[in-house]
Amino acid sequence: MSALDAWFARAARQLARRTSRRSFLARLGTLAAGAAALPLLPVARAGAVREPAPGEPDGSTPAGDPDDCAYWRYCAIDGFLASCCGGTHLSCPPGAEMSPLTWIGTCQNPVDGKHYIVSYNDCCGKNACGRCFCHRNEGDKPVYIPPKSNDIDWCMGRVGVIYNSTVAVVIGISTEKG
Amino acid sequence: MIRCAALAAVALLAAATAHGADPRVDYMLQCQGCHLGDGSGSPGTVPDLRGSLGRFLGVPGGREYLVRVPGAAQSSLSDERLAALLDWMIREFGSAEAAAQLEPYRAEEVARWRADPYAEVQTVRRELLRRIEAGSAPSR
Repeated sequence: MSALDAWFARAARQLARRTSRRSFLARLGTLAAGAAALPLLPVARAGAVREPAPGEPDGSTPAGDPDDCAYWRYCAIDGFLASCCGGTHLSCPPGAEMSPLTWIGTCQNPVDGKHYIVSYNDCCGKNACGRCFCHRNEGDKPVYIPPKSNDIDWCMGRVGVIYNSTVAVVIGISTEKG
Repeated sequence: MIRCAALAAVALLAAATAHGADPRVDYMLQCQGCHLGDGSGSPGTVPDLRGSLGRFLGVPGGREYLVRVPGAAQSSLSDERLAALLDWMIREFGSAEAAAQLEPYRAEEVARWRADPYAEVQTVRRELLRRIEAGSAPSR
């Protein structure tokens, strides 16, 4: 028992020698300021979720993995998957902005067999992600039919031309393949 | 809000089933990528459709202009569906007055006009906008 007492006394003296109350206060202050600043980082803002489109399958629909190129929504995508680059299949990575101009086609959901209208918006204004390249061409047309071509860099207009990655947003349901 | 969205989806599906094709879906697949869902387009690049479609119908050459612009003329839609889509767009994005006065497009005239798409659409557009401006100026 006395050995344990002696060990604790020695440890407490060593701790007192190595640290000061002032350094504890400094570390506490850093922690408090850091915790307050955390919500200001872009990660938190990028977490904002958009309203689901009419008829859009919700997250509980067992329709595959949005991080996988074989995911049904990616049937006509050509680019880096935003979900693999710090974003999701619906939102751009932090620091990249979603181009409003886009190309739109349909993909069939294997679970319910419906043709969903998918908008492939490019994420722009940040260097190319370079991960999870996914190139599938269902319904894709040559570039001389621009509105139906996925070979085009859709980062144009308001957000600049630097391409980062691509999302696949369901915007409606079609009765036919389009 | 969710109930509204669900009702809209049901209405949309019902409309699509009743008429075979739904102009709203054709708009999404053929036009929305550039003109955007609300028709606002992109300043300096893609014309804003809101309130502007009906104005073209009020001047000579305006009715055929809406068919002969490359996006309409060269779309993959049939003449009938393009006619229905143009009517829908005028009702959706035009003024209430334009919608009330709309004479629906006929497949026959759409076929004739789209066979001759504009090569210099900007020149035609400028001339039509000049006519629209001249027509709306107060007479002295």
